[in-house]
Amino acid sequence: MSADDLSRSVAAVRELFDAAACSCALANSDGAALTFTAADGVGATEVIGVEVPVGRGLVGWTAMSGQPVAVRDVRTDARFARDIAESTGYVPATILAAPFFDAAGEVVGVLEVLDPGIDTSGDWPLAVLGTLASQLSAVVAGGGPSDSDQRYSTLGRRIAELVENHRG
Amino acid sequence: MSRLPAWSEAFASDRLPDLPALPLEDAREWAFGGSTGAGVSLAIVDSGIDADHPDVGGVASAVAMEPDDSRDEGYRAVEGPHEDLYGHGTACAAIVRSLAPDIDLHSIRVLGSNLKGRGLLFHAGLLWAVDHGFHVANLSLSSKSESMYAPLHEVADLAYFARTLLVCAANNQPGPTYPSEFASVVSVACRPSDDPWTLSANPKPPVEFGARGIDVEVAWLDGGSTVATGNSFAAPHVAAMAALQAVSDNAACDPAEVIGSRDHPVSCGS
Repeated sequence: MSADDLSRSVAAVRELFDAAACSCALANSDGAALTFTAADGVGATEVIGVEVPVGRGLVGWTAMSGQPVAVRDVRTDARFARDIAESTGYVPATILAAPFFDAAGEVVGVLEVLDPGIDTSGDWPLAVLGTLASQLSAVVAGGGPSDSDQRYSTLGRRIAELVENHRG
Repeated sequence: MSRLPAWSEAFASDRLPDLPALPLEDAREWAFGGSTGAGVSLAIVDSGIDADHPDVGGVASAVAMEPDDSRDEGYRAVEGPHEDLYGHGTACAAIVRSLAPDIDLHSIRVLGSNLKGRGLLFHAGLLWAVDHGFHVANLSLSSKSESMYAPLHEVADLAYFARTLLVCAANNQPGPTYPSEFASVVSVACRPSDDPWTLSANPKPPVEFGARGIDVEVAWLDGGSTVATGNSFAAPHVAAMAALQAVSDNAACDPAEVIGSRDHPVSCGS
């Protein structure tokens, strides 16, 4: 199953950020929701397949705005907490999220990192996540997840290479 | 590896010495002295504003752009109070209010419940800001859509000629985004600083200004706050400063003429 490659790439991103979890949500064809397609870490099993409306929550904001964002203390946001808690039973304190796009510039999905273990008071995590997300866009360009076998494989290799290069 | 969001590198601490700095207190007093933002209208084109949030202090008007396939233009403008769908618009509004306590804030909500047509609603929101003669519009959003390049370019030009200053957040990711890279708007990225009055100019556009946007405590949903990072939060700082200088004791230009000052690289703040 090619989605395994995407899962491996998400796992690599989680490891890079020393995060509790990392997940990737892809926009549904009707544009009204995003579906978590790959995840690694706490709540990963529960979140895969979960559909979240784009009209609320940090993932929705990231997709709608086209802007990466990092938010700490999301537990203070009752509406956000419901989104996640209902999906996975895990409520993070910190979320980094970055959108990615197809070749025409339309939003394809969102890559998010939950509770990174690195020092998030710095300013590089969002740059790294944005760069990784742009790699997703290069691979996913041209369509959604339904016909993405080859793209998943390529994505997995690219993310793994990026992580390895970072370690090097 | 860069340690700053894309477009923020020009404002990295090791590069700032390349930029001439103004005497901070004198420059601020000259630029903003006597100004509270009174008499200036500033639109937040975003996810809506929670007008009841204590850090927002109310809004002068609110409109939501909503998809409507029954109309030729594909959307309708719904005027009246609305909620903030995400918290982001409230965060931007509160940043402006913190610097310009007497400014007239206007909420133009362009984010809805569907990704389809988001560029159209961005465009509609900007057009609303221009048609209603707002002095400044903050757009902490961007589009990479090729199909929106021309429409957004057109409305950005309309804004320029109508003297509505568009202050746009650059995207933290590589690649072009619109309208933040157009010459007719002011493009902003975040830079390290705890000082909300920090303002740096980048002599190498398209991103022209750097302002506080890293680990900023911002207003959020349900009357609360959170700590956030993004160019989204730098733009409203610059939007507010552009508004303030327009009505300061030494006002030499209106907000739209901020664009004319972009070729004078300066760095203010810590």
